Amino acid sequence: MDTNWFNQIFAPLQSPNLLNNLLGYSTKEPWFFTEFSFLAVFGAFLIFYAALVQKNTWRKIYIIAFSLFFYYKSSGPFLGLFALMIVSDYLFAIAIQKNTGKKKKMLLWLSLSYSLSFLLYFKYTNFFIHNCNNILGTQFTDHNLFLPIGISFYTFQSISYLMDVYRNEIPATKNVSDYAFYMTFFPHLVAGPIVRAKDFLPQILTPQIINASLYKESLLRIITGLLKKLFIADYLGKYVDIVHELPSNFSGGENLLAMYAYSFQIYFDFSGYSDIAIGIALMLGYRLKENFDNPYSATNVTVFWRKWHISLSGWLRDYVYIPLGGNRKGEFNTYLFLLITMLVGGFWHGADHRFIFWGLAHGLALALHKAWSQLLPKSKNPWYSQLFGMFLTFHFVGFCWIFFRATSFGSAFASIEQIAFHTQWKDFTGFWLSRQEMGILLSVAAFIAFFPPSIKERFFTKLQVLPTFTWIIWVLIALQIIIQFKDDVVQPFIYFQF
Amino acid sequence: MRLKYFCHALSDQNPPQPPYSNPNTSNNTRVEQPSRWLIVWAGISIALPVLLLYLYSCSNQTFQFAGFELKQILGNQDIDAMLAELDEPENKSTQTLPPQVPAIALDSNGNAIQRDTNMAFISNPNQKPFSLPAYELPIFADTTKHRILLIGDSESGGLRYPLNDYCQANGHKLILSLEWYSATTFNFGRSDTIQRIIARYKPTYIFLVFGLNELYARDLKARKIAANQLAKKLHGIPYTWIGPANWEEDNGINKVFQSSADSATFFLTKKLTLTRAGDGRHPDVQGYRVWMDSIAGWLQTSARYKMAMKPPRKRGRPFRAPIITINAAKYRGY
Repeated sequence: MDTNWFNQIFAPLQSPNLLNNLLGYSTKEPWFFTEFSFLAVFGAFLIFYAALVQKNTWRKIYIIAFSLFFYYKSSGPFLGLFALMIVSDYLFAIAIQKNTGKKKKMLLWLSLSYSLSFLLYFKYTNFFIHNCNNILGTQFTDHNLFLPIGISFYTFQSISYLMDVYRNEIPATKNVSDYAFYMTFFPHLVAGPIVRAKDFLPQILTPQIINASLYKESLLRIITGLLKKLFIADYLGKYVDIVHELPSNFSGGENLLAMYAYSFQIYFDFSGYSDIAIGIALMLGYRLKENFDNPYSATNVTVFWRKWHISLSGWLRDYVYIPLGGNRKGEFNTYLFLLITMLVGGFWHGADHRFIFWGLAHGLALALHKAWSQLLPKSKNPWYSQLFGMFLTFHFVGFCWIFFRATSFGSAFASIEQIAFHTQWKDFTGFWLSRQEMGILLSVAAFIAFFPPSIKERFFTKLQVLPTFTWIIWVLIALQIIIQFKDDVVQPFIYFQF
Repeated sequence: MRLKYFCHALSDQNPPQPPYSNPNTSNNTRVEQPSRWLIVWAGISIALPVLLLYLYSCSNQTFQFAGFELKQILGNQDIDAMLAELDEPENKSTQTLPPQVPAIALDSNGNAIQRDTNMAFISNPNQKPFSLPAYELPIFADTTKHRILLIGDSESGGLRYPLNDYCQANGHKLILSLEWYSATTFNFGRSDTIQRIIARYKPTYIFLVFGLNELYARDLKARKIAANQLAKKLHGIPYTWIGPANWEEDNGINKVFQSSADSATFFLTKKLTLTRAGDGRHPDVQGYRVWMDSIAGWLQTSARYKMAMKPPRKRGRPFRAPIITINAAKYRGY
């Protein structure tokens, strides 16, 4: 045996930082599903899980412990904060359930503001300080705050739980471990989907043990998710990064293609991530709800928001729009509530004016579409009007994504200016000549995103005919494809400036 | 035998029916039984591929599939061992090269002319004088006028202007700038473009500058072979191989170049801090000037093939040498 090869295999074990690598945490390089080391550890985790799956208590403890470890690896000491939040939510929920009337309402407000205070403090303090300094001319200094990973997601989950208990839709959990299981369950912990307690708590005690078709389904989800995220989205992202570093350096055509590329990047990135999360949860026997449903095939903005990040839009509908009054308080208020809801949604994405603008634009579009659809009589929707609606929706959404991606308002406007005034046909031919691979991948991404979902589903069902023992090979091939394209440097230039 | 259950869980077949079961219920409908063994198999089917790829990445062996090399996960490769293994000392052009020009001018008796300086790096060629700005460096004694050929990727498109200034100030002639956009070691190593250009333009000194497109390269072994091929093509002509202007840490391409180039012909750009242009990757005008100043200082003192490179008084002189541009996306050269 080649001793050199042998030594290299065990090199990590001989490293002086071994303990630090295993038990340390890194907030800069979080340990996500897309890390190959996670996949290896998860595989080992599953083997032991098989032994515990029928023992309720041990299974729960095992998954909670792994989830906490998973969270610790990317957030370190913030694990304490998370645990504190879980325990306090659990106690609040019991208190809410026991009380009635005004006291119940007060408890709800108290618990909600307590939950939200963490998110507001870590995510928005600096934003408010900046605005305060700009508007009032004060001289407050920035706080050096680290945003705990996943806080936006688990805060929303805790709010949904408290509200559901308040509305008597679910009973408060009797056991703190049940609630901890729901909150920490690692597939949805760091980046969603935002799971409702209503859907998830009943599953805790009765996980499915997978059969052959579930095994194939979950593995297919993981494979497609990995390919979507690590192959398509990351590769497109390289081009987007280059253009958005300084959009005015690039031609209108390149900016337009960067807009398309980003639209596909963000879709494949997030839906790929959700696919992995759903696949992993399914392997453990829990079914999470779908998060995306071919959003770019939506024919209007309202439908788009029913298909895009479903767990967030559903959350916003149930816990912001409807409590505000929904469509029960007059026509004007309905539009106002829509705007407020989308503003909250935009602000949730990040503490920046660009996200608020993005939310506002979507809110306005939703209100506009609502008014438009009330004006027109309901009639048949012929195919060409559907196609036009799809085209319009996709371009509106893509236009809004520019604000989402750009580094600042100025850079977003620069990109839009280039698209509007400096687009020529030769930009596209130039793009094709110098970045053929990117062009091909962009068309593949568009093909997948706009492909009729029914055919896609049929294709995936066909794939599941493949025998169980061959699936290990498909995983291997998918991982090798990812490695193959991971480090291709995308040429960072087309027109060299001098 | 537990293995029996395990194999059975993977087999996709109906469990064998006991003879007394009702044949109507189970003949054509496949009943998929949930099985804990499938969870084990799920774990194996995720962990084993990762493990296999890890083992493959640890080995020095690479496989080809349909003409493409199967890449490895980086992170565990012993780059130095691989480079040492692929180094071909017999091919290195030590024998055929013109003799090294001494850094210090000699008088007729062969004694070093004493200079009014005690800078340590003059006697020690390994010590690189980056701490000194170019104008403080000692004036180089050898004043051979060179016909210079600049070959490189997009970086050469920026570096040629300050190089042109230096050439005009020192009496050299920049005879051609070959700018091969997006080129990599493969383009230079596998093609015969460089030989043909050398045969036609007959330079007396070559500058090579590329590698910016290869910072993330992981197939270092293939690139090392190409770099060796490139080094062979430069036999007999003094050259300086300038490393890429890293905007961030590379995966080892600088090590590859350094090991393929002859001793003291490789200029490591990585440690310079250069101002960047809008794309964040390429140096800007000022960055290229600073870069060229550092190269010039090094060329006078520590390079294997030294040349006179005193700083120009005037910058930004008009560039008159012919420029050949090639786009690697369209023309690979091999």
